[in-house]
Amino acid sequence: MSRPGGKGALGRDPFAAPGGATERPTEAPASLDGFADRVRRELDRAEHAGTRRLGTPHMRGRSGEIDPFGLDPEYEARWHRFFDFLYETYWRVDARGVEHIPAEGPALLVGNHAGLVPYDAMMLKYAVLRHSPVRRGVRPLVPDFVFHFPFLGVLLNRLGGVRACPENAERLLERGELVAVFPEGLKGLGKLYRERYRLQRFGRGGFVKLALRTGVPLLPVAIVGAEEIHPMIGRVTWVAEKVGIPFIPITPTFPWLGPLGALPLPSKWLLQVGPPVDLGNAGPEAADDPTLVGRLTESVRQTIQEMLDGLLRERRSVFR
Amino acid sequence: MARKRSPRAASPTPPASTRVVALTGASAFIGSGLMARLAADPQIEAIIALDVNRPTLPSEKARWVELDLTQPTAAGEIERVLEREGVDTFVHLAYLSNPTHNSTWAHELETLGTVHVLSACAARRVRKLVVWSHTCVYGARPDNPNFLTEDHPLRGNPRSRFVRDKVEAEREVARFAEKHRNVVVTVLRTCSIVGPTVRNYVTRYFSRRVVPTLMGFDPLMQFVHEDDVLDAFHLAIRGDHRGAFNIVGEGVLPLSALLKLAGRIALPIPHFVAYPLVHALWTAQAVEAPALFLDYLRFLWVADGQRAAEVLGFKPRYTTRDAFLSFAQAHPPRRDGAAAGVSP
Repeated sequence: MSRPGGKGALGRDPFAAPGGATERPTEAPASLDGFADRVRRELDRAEHAGTRRLGTPHMRGRSGEIDPFGLDPEYEARWHRFFDFLYETYWRVDARGVEHIPAEGPALLVGNHAGLVPYDAMMLKYAVLRHSPVRRGVRPLVPDFVFHFPFLGVLLNRLGGVRACPENAERLLERGELVAVFPEGLKGLGKLYRERYRLQRFGRGGFVKLALRTGVPLLPVAIVGAEEIHPMIGRVTWVAEKVGIPFIPITPTFPWLGPLGALPLPSKWLLQVGPPVDLGNAGPEAADDPTLVGRLTESVRQTIQEMLDGLLRERRSVFR
Repeated sequence: MARKRSPRAASPTPPASTRVVALTGASAFIGSGLMARLAADPQIEAIIALDVNRPTLPSEKARWVELDLTQPTAAGEIERVLEREGVDTFVHLAYLSNPTHNSTWAHELETLGTVHVLSACAARRVRKLVVWSHTCVYGARPDNPNFLTEDHPLRGNPRSRFVRDKVEAEREVARFAEKHRNVVVTVLRTCSIVGPTVRNYVTRYFSRRVVPTLMGFDPLMQFVHEDDVLDAFHLAIRGDHRGAFNIVGEGVLPLSALLKLAGRIALPIPHFVAYPLVHALWTAQAVEAPALFLDYLRFLWVADGQRAAEVLGFKPRYTTRDAFLSFAQAHPPRRDGAAAGVSP
């Protein structure tokens, strides 16, 4: 677009400070005033660039789409290609039993957890997204400590993760969402390779209490493949606690290969969703009965362990 | 004209509705806005404005009585006013909207001032007490649920005098309500108030062209519009609703989205640098809030407004987004070349 009396191919410099021709100081400012002027001009340029881009209706409309729990559908959509690659090509996830998940309404998915980095939560999410007829989203519950760290908390939150506490879980279920919990928690993520696929203690049964109180179906999920992505041969705890992370993992590739060592291995994944667990006819008040809760927790753990053993027998090898 | 009552007449049947309202903090934003509303309300017969500064009185219905809540004589003075004017509803708004360096005075005003108000109300058998509080009393923590309800413990921020004073004031009010069941005690916890006219540390923060944020943190935030806050107080005064209510706008938005909406430029600062930096700037009186307030830009502290909607009947006219937009449109980015992070 040419303008009359303009300079150069673009005519008037679009980044010129308002009310004047482009002034670019060619020598260092002689005084503090000169420096302040320069800062002001830089800010004007940034603002022109920024507001011109951001003032467009597209950006303005976009900022209102985050759901009350922090999920950003557009941000999530930008990660689809990456997670699709992981799902289809890298880990070749073979998902079964997704038809057990109701097409609408809330449900609680309970899975085993492994792999240092919670990719398994994301793969479960994608399995449900792809295989359920109505492309349902899953909200994984994320432990507290994640939100202490910069970047990690925001990333997981915008992708649908929600801080794990009973209030949040109940609200999500009330809204009809699919909530995924991983009761093994950090202990599961930090399992050594030699302990793989042996389920750790399933917490205090918070997820059972949740299911009893809200009356939503409880579906067990077994995920095979996550244990091998970062096979941990050791753990360093003493220095890590000072830094604020629970432990420093030692794998065949980390920390020796540095950042390359943080790449997960391409194991073959199998994912199975089981039918809803029978909680008996227990009503909401049963949530206060520790014996019953303990018994049901153990029975869910057993079910998932059996599903895992079945899938392991079926899998030809770790990488195929 | 205020009704005169004989000094010893404790009415056998208290008046069934609100007629004479006394309010503290009358010269501040909520006080003056509320007085205008009450002046227009035909049910209200008289408004007694209590403040150390003279407020703008909206009509003849309103009278100013000079009162300094930090004086030890304050309780006695309030009692005399209550008795003389026949006040049935007391609205206590004398709280700070902004953190201050003068922490001794702030403590006296917020905590001790509240104690004066409560002892006067107890002595004179006021029918209703409405108290203003802030959702910062819940505290901004990574282990907060996404929606804080009114029964959540008030953890606040023990190292922040601003927040701690408010938590203590709430505790005193709760104790009063427990002891004097015949008084209808309503506590309105507002979240950050924004709008075209209100000025507080939050609006000052967002008024900059370059807004400092904590690198890697993007908390969900909520706001309530200044007009909606006045509506809420009006509802609390007209009806009888006991307990605490979160007065918030609908919906939440992450900090990054707010900055984009307002056309501001975000300047992310790593948190381990930001806290000492803001502490130094606060000590130099160059920023609007001390370093501890950075927690409120880092972690979640969103309150649930469900109870206010169901019990109080409070339906905000502005969502968080609209409230913030109304503020942003009235305050375009400053063009006075203020350097990042430093206010003039």
